[in-house]
Amino acid sequence: MASDVVVETRNLSKVYRDFWGRQKVRALKALDLEIRRGEIFGLLGPNGSGKTTTIKLLLGLLFPTSGQALIFGRDATDVSKNERLGYLPEESYLYRFLNAEETLDFYGRLFDMSAADRKRRTTELIDLVGLNWAKRRQLKEYSKGMARRIGLAQALINDPELILLDEPTSGLDPIGTREMKDLILRLKGQGKTVLMSSHLLADVQDVCDRIAILHQGELKELGRVDSLLKVRDETEIRARGLSESAQSEIRAVIERHQGTVLAMDNPTTTLEDLFLAIVRDSEARPGRRAKPEHDPEPNAAPNR
Amino acid sequence: MVHETDAILFADWIWPALLFFLEAAALLGLLALIGGFLVAAFRYGPMAGGDTAYRMIRTGLVDFVSISPRRIAALSWLAVQESLRRRVLVGFGVFLLILLFAGWFLDSRSNDPAALYLSFVLTATTWLVLLMALFLSALSLPADIKNHTIYTIVTKPVRPGEIVLGRIIGFAVIGSILLAIMGVFSYVFVSRVLSHTHEVEVASLKKAPNDPTGAQTGRTSSVLNHRHQVNLDEKGNGSTDIVQGHYHQVTTERDGDKVRYVLSPPRDLLTARVPLYASGLRFKDRTGKGSDRGINVGNEWKYRSFIEGGSLAAATFTFDDITPERFPEELPIEMTIRVFRSYKGDIEKGILGSLVLKNPRTGRASQLITFRAKDFYIDSLPISRKLTDPAGNSIDLFADLVVDGQLDIELQCLDDSQYFGVAKPDIYLRARDASFTMNFVKSYLSIWVQMLLVTGFGVMFSTFLSGAVAMMATLATLVMGFFKQFVFDVAQGSIQGGGPIESFIRIFKQQNVTTQLEPGLTTDVVKAGDQVFMWFMSHVTTLLPDFRHFDDVDYVAHGFDIPPDTILIQLFTALAYVAAVFAIGYFFLRTREVAR
Repeated sequence: MASDVVVETRNLSKVYRDFWGRQKVRALKALDLEIRRGEIFGLLGPNGSGKTTTIKLLLGLLFPTSGQALIFGRDATDVSKNERLGYLPEESYLYRFLNAEETLDFYGRLFDMSAADRKRRTTELIDLVGLNWAKRRQLKEYSKGMARRIGLAQALINDPELILLDEPTSGLDPIGTREMKDLILRLKGQGKTVLMSSHLLADVQDVCDRIAILHQGELKELGRVDSLLKVRDETEIRARGLSESAQSEIRAVIERHQGTVLAMDNPTTTLEDLFLAIVRDSEARPGRRAKPEHDPEPNAAPNR
Repeated sequence: MVHETDAILFADWIWPALLFFLEAAALLGLLALIGGFLVAAFRYGPMAGGDTAYRMIRTGLVDFVSISPRRIAALSWLAVQESLRRRVLVGFGVFLLILLFAGWFLDSRSNDPAALYLSFVLTATTWLVLLMALFLSALSLPADIKNHTIYTIVTKPVRPGEIVLGRIIGFAVIGSILLAIMGVFSYVFVSRVLSHTHEVEVASLKKAPNDPTGAQTGRTSSVLNHRHQVNLDEKGNGSTDIVQGHYHQVTTERDGDKVRYVLSPPRDLLTARVPLYASGLRFKDRTGKGSDRGINVGNEWKYRSFIEGGSLAAATFTFDDITPERFPEELPIEMTIRVFRSYKGDIEKGILGSLVLKNPRTGRASQLITFRAKDFYIDSLPISRKLTDPAGNSIDLFADLVVDGQLDIELQCLDDSQYFGVAKPDIYLRARDASFTMNFVKSYLSIWVQMLLVTGFGVMFSTFLSGAVAMMATLATLVMGFFKQFVFDVAQGSIQGGGPIESFIRIFKQQNVTTQLEPGLTTDVVKAGDQVFMWFMSHVTTLLPDFRHFDDVDYVAHGFDIPPDTILIQLFTALAYVAAVFAIGYFFLRTREVAR
């Protein structure tokens, strides 16, 4: 359903130019994406791959050189789209002279929220991110992890339908990382759409439904995480109660020896392996869609 | 206070000004639209260019109607918080320091200490507040962009116009608070510094010569580098003469044999005269023939014209609304006549002049009322209701000379070969005195208006320039605004020495401005370059506000009430500029990428 598409990019490209208009860097090349309502979508890529540029284009912080970025069907430069989205930047770019309550109250006012709503929402969010004990302290006294938490709280002040998280777990300790991932899953449970970019592959693997892998500004892979990680040309059999000698004649021998097949499936690789394979392939064959050693599932999202 | 232009009434000013504003806004809007279309057409092709221009207009309108007072209030509050964080109160500390040490470098022997101190505090306040506004407004937005804090603002439903307006209002609020505090301190400082009294030196008192009533004269003690002469009536009451722009009233308190003379605080020192200016001014030449103007004595500034002494030349001022209710006892005439001497004469004495009050319909006139005029002085000449005509008959001011509230006052210079220079505001009736405190507040309002302008320009420049460059651009606007006439004169080539390139060459070669550059190709190129630069400069200067028109220091310093019309004109002019810089700031912020 078309209305299910929350984020859409069509042939989205971005070229950075210098003062004289000369091309400096082609940061994004003809990106086509669709992110549907209720999914957690991960943008993956090494440094300089175009992840943050994509997010900035989606937010209207940058203007596309060509192509189009649509959020809720509206152009990304349309300010009214911001009513329904929340954004956590790569670093918590907040006003350090405000305290947590003032910060959330300020951002609430930018959403034209009434004083009562702001107060209620501020209390809820400070509870949610666990900063009740430090809510009156200026943000300049916050640790990086605390700043990330209040950053997340400001991104959620308007109870957004779409949340864009740029490196959400960066600077968080393992417990904070776990809490952040739980929160992202909880947001999905509430029917919200999450677009996140991250270097931390394990985080992406843990929470994302679909991912796009970018390299040098190009889309290299796109699809469901479980499909992408499936190794199609191999079969994995897990069995119990088999003798050593029976292991050489897998299927037939199991039947013959009355063993029980517990699982029979393709094995999965790790996202880290997949990612590195794609990057290696991209460097070997620049400008071409990734062709890892194991072919992706045929019904994965089409290459545009 | 010497006026250099005729006062303009708000009612006469507003409609032509509004029309000009609308025309200028329409023209600039159209130019912006065409420019935007051309740029977009060049980049994306004519169709896409047209679409971009259309979307820009549509978005602009949507943004305009979607402006939220709550968001603007939030952004203003943030600007206030940011200003406090930037230690804006340090400016106030500097101001206090200046006040503390003002006594070291202000001349306490000045003939007009009120003017001196008031000019000083108002000028110091103006520059401190303008510099503060300059720093805050020009650096704020670029700092937000550099620190990326702007990301969390523009990803909320905040319109670019709200960011511009929020900042202007926020900085105006902090400036207003600072200005109010400075105002209170300045007022207290000036009042306390100028407040004084004297003791009557009893030993100096002696009977007034040729006065059988028992009146006495004497002198006071010296305080603040001056003393007064005291004139007491037979009951011991009276007043002092006017020294350093003020006088004291004297009362006598008797306790048995003890006599104590008590002097009031200074009178007329901190005043706010409300003048009634003439509605018309006409001249007679040396033969007594009517003329629109007097003669030119070679003064480059042609606002005033001169009448020749010892001839039939005269300047006739026509006043309206002269009623017994307004002036029940006397006609308080004050004059600021310019004196042009063709020979030095007795410089201390002043030039002899005369006034004649005339019935504008019948021509009936009073006897000559003589006075001595000094340049740059306010001459005070109260005229009694009871007068005599040239034949010595008693006449009444209102019964015989005023017709339908109208009265002519004819000015003549009586000393041969000396000249009086006048313009319409140079003879006025001191209709009443307004509150000095309110006048002081009004002068701060004019500083506030200037601060608002600087803030607006600073924020506007900061939407597309980096902090340092935006600051320089705002400073250039301020400087060009204060020296607008000079920049115009340079741009139009009416100042010797040529344009900037030619001037630079002259400085480098140490060449006098009156000598011509050597003819040749280089000179032609230099002059052509200057022409282009000066054309650009004159057009840019036309668009900038003339900051001197917002300067009301002279009014307060010289004891004149700032006309409400002047304040209204300043306020509306500033609002028009703020509207313009808001629109430009919106446009640049809307069309720029805030991320890199």
